[in-house]
Amino acid sequence: MKTRHLRRIGLISVVACGLAASPAFAAGEVIAAFTKNQVDPHFEGVRAGVEQMAKKMGATVRQYVPTKPNNITEGMSQLEDVGVTKPNLVLFMPIDPKAQLPTIKRLIESGTPVLNYNDKAGDAPYLAFVGQDDYKLGYDIAKTLFDHLGGKGNVVILEGIKGSNTGDERKRGFDAALKEYPNIKLLASQPANFQRLLGLQVMENLIQQFSDINGVIAAADASALGAAEALKSAGRGNVPVVSINGVPEAVEAVKNGSLLAIAEFNGFKIGCVATEIGLKAIRGEVVPKRVVIPGAVITKANHTEWLVPYQQRTCPAAAEYVGQ
Amino acid sequence: MTTMDTPAPASARSQPLAPGTLAIVVRLGLIACIGVLLSSLSPGFATTDNLLNILRQASLLFLVASGLTLVIIGGGLDLSIGANLTLCACLSAAAIKSTGQPAAGIVVALGCGALVGLTNGVLINRVKIPPFLATFGMLWVAQGIAYWFMAGQVVYGFSPAFRFFGSGFWLGIPLPIWVMLVTGACGVIFLSRTTIGREVYLMGANEAAAVLSGIPVARRRTLLYVVSGLMAGLAALIYVARLNAAEPGIGEPLLLPAIAAVLVGGTSLFGGSGSLVGTLLGAIILTLIVNALNLLNVSASWHPFVTGVIVVVAVLADAAVNRGARR
Repeated sequence: MKTRHLRRIGLISVVACGLAASPAFAAGEVIAAFTKNQVDPHFEGVRAGVEQMAKKMGATVRQYVPTKPNNITEGMSQLEDVGVTKPNLVLFMPIDPKAQLPTIKRLIESGTPVLNYNDKAGDAPYLAFVGQDDYKLGYDIAKTLFDHLGGKGNVVILEGIKGSNTGDERKRGFDAALKEYPNIKLLASQPANFQRLLGLQVMENLIQQFSDINGVIAAADASALGAAEALKSAGRGNVPVVSINGVPEAVEAVKNGSLLAIAEFNGFKIGCVATEIGLKAIRGEVVPKRVVIPGAVITKANHTEWLVPYQQRTCPAAAEYVGQ
Repeated sequence: MTTMDTPAPASARSQPLAPGTLAIVVRLGLIACIGVLLSSLSPGFATTDNLLNILRQASLLFLVASGLTLVIIGGGLDLSIGANLTLCACLSAAAIKSTGQPAAGIVVALGCGALVGLTNGVLINRVKIPPFLATFGMLWVAQGIAYWFMAGQVVYGFSPAFRFFGSGFWLGIPLPIWVMLVTGACGVIFLSRTTIGREVYLMGANEAAAVLSGIPVARRRTLLYVVSGLMAGLAALIYVARLNAAEPGIGEPLLLPAIAAVLVGGTSLFGGSGSLVGTLLGAIILTLIVNALNLLNVSASWHPFVTGVIVVVAVLADAAVNRGARR
């Protein structure tokens, strides 16, 4: 009997040691960071930012990414997984805000602190929201194009995914800028779903219909790059194209003149700041409820900063953006 | 491959073609209807440029859907084509970038496509996994390898020599259209003029009968999946050459349109009937819809609805005509 007890105690202590060695019981906190896909380099930037700041502040990160891009079913089951593993902090961006809100609310009620970043995830008691203003990005980049055109000309818009918060807000920004420029005429506004192939094909179609396009606004880099290809092969490579995001490939296109300008939607900064604010909040500091990181307009004049690979960038301090 | 040249018996040749011809007429009618409607509404539609534009856009969809058509006629299904395209595009783009040789990219793309197809065939024949599950599994495997390989990056910027393949012209006609016409013609000849082609129809219509009549069903099936994979590889090359970039999210959005092109083209999902000409028309119809919506500047909210309605109308028209023909 005694030996069996001893053996059990031995077993328990081995398990306990194992648990203690696992990240959940290590010195630093465990952060569960959600991103939407492994396809868009933007989210690569978010993940790099989270990793860098977490390392700096002594926490460890578990990345949750659906294997199929923006797959809501997988996103939901990963949320449920987090409900069981109970990390110290969840950084959450929604794939479908409406569908995921109830699960997020339950997660928060059960005592897991959640910070909302990148995209707004509906109304729940989050630690804070860290992101950028898509409306403002859309407005700024549209104005950049219109000013470049001297306030007059014909433009087309390549929208994002209809019904997505990002796409709709950016479109609202484009429309607001259009209202301020009475001599800019909107020839067409068609969906390219943030995709490259659709950007190319929709642009090819619009070229057939309109011989007098003076400028193109795309809701994302991939669509803009597709559109620029279409314009180039139609012999209209001089038509200026602007977009939103600023992934390295697109910044290089700004450098070589294929794109005129990009409104910066900087995943790396969002990842850094969200992690810093979230960790400070769970360590008992008072943090702002809403941090909006301003986006620069990337042009040929200032593009070099965005050509640096994500892994080699340095996180900005959250304090830079607090109160803006 | 001596059987390739053997003409099929006349009776076997005419039997599945008769209702097929009708289906093709119905689709041409639908295309004509959309065409007439559009040319009256939009000045940009009925121009040579736009027609070439539509065909060039349809070519990518057709290439992906053509291999799928063969597989479906043979009684199978290939859900891995989109992911296969992604993987081949990423691998071949990387191969071209690192060697500077377009030929290396072509070899990698076609090899990768054929290998994924061969794996599908082995999973179905040897491991006895149903086609839906086997190819669904390969979808994830191919996609997964592409994610791992690319690590969130985009490979872009290729030499004009390679890009000619996707964006060049020959005799005033874009190269992708030539590729579509040549592969389409080869496929049509394969299906209707070779013994193996006829065997594919029989396999899809009644597998047990095909086995009993001595057709090496397993080998034929593997062949179909390899061809489907090769087509995905070829489509990947066209994609990279046209868009000048490869990223791991490009193929997935093509899977459902490819299935739709096959079905709108009149190929039965249950196997045993259908044609590549139908799939070509199906791909053109689907491309035409997006072209029309763009030209008429229809609001984004209506795009999915209109596409859905036209797909359903095409399938219903087919069913109605078939019923009429049977009476």
